[in-house]
Amino acid sequence: MNLDEDTNYIISGLERSGTSMLMQILRAGNIPISHDNSRPADESNLKGYYELAGGKIINKLMAGSFPLNEHRGKFVKITSFGLKYLPLGKYKIIYSERNIEEILDSMEKMIGEKDPSREDTKMSFLKLNNMIKEYAQDREDMDILFINYNNILSNPKENISKILKFLNVPNDLLDKMTETVDSKLYRQRRT
Amino acid sequence: MAKEKENKKFTTISIPTPLAEKIKKRIKGTGFTSLSSYVTYVLREVISGMDEEEEEVFSKEDEKRVKDRLRALGYID
Repeated sequence: MNLDEDTNYIISGLERSGTSMLMQILRAGNIPISHDNSRPADESNLKGYYELAGGKIINKLMAGSFPLNEHRGKFVKITSFGLKYLPLGKYKIIYSERNIEEILDSMEKMIGEKDPSREDTKMSFLKLNNMIKEYAQDREDMDILFINYNNILSNPKENISKILKFLNVPNDLLDKMTETVDSKLYRQRRT
Repeated sequence: MAKEKENKKFTTISIPTPLAEKIKKRIKGTGFTSLSSYVTYVLREVISGMDEEEEEVFSKEDEKRVKDRLRALGYID
């Protein structure tokens, strides 16, 4: 399946918001994705991260050294903070949102320790999320679809259909894509 | 989202023609389809940078906190 070769496609959202799962869903649908093996699957992400540059793509974007042109027509994972550093272009973004307490729980688990300033961290990430959402909606070169992680687990078919419609691609592989949603991996459930 | 964008109200401002031409060249081939949308984006960036006292704004302190967390998670150096 081919996507528009003039567009950069991005999976985004706060870290631990379900961005890797979205990449897995796209892969199952034969939708082109760009990733390398610099950050292999681990206990925090059993099915893999699907990232570039070991997840340190934000550093490259901040330095203006990430070759976006080499990744046109494919999905790349760039978490929320990195979106602010995208130069003018043509972007289609699928943005994942998740219950903030689950995100913080997942971050603590991945880091291996409790956050002593959890409430402050929560406010900062909520503000980041709001700021980036507003920012992306103000940029006419960014077309954005919001997907809720908690909702995709309970209604995978409906949400994946939205993604396919957003990308304007056929839904022949909808069932295969839906099968990748594994609620057994939903380990920080709060809702 | 397109609907949301359409629902916003607009007013007219004037900028020098040479500047307008420069901007047109800059946005050519990007997803920005008009001078107005690009100027709106740039102005909003400037204004948001001036609103740091507001509680809801993503401040330098918030940015530091987020960066520290991202560093701990291995997302930035």
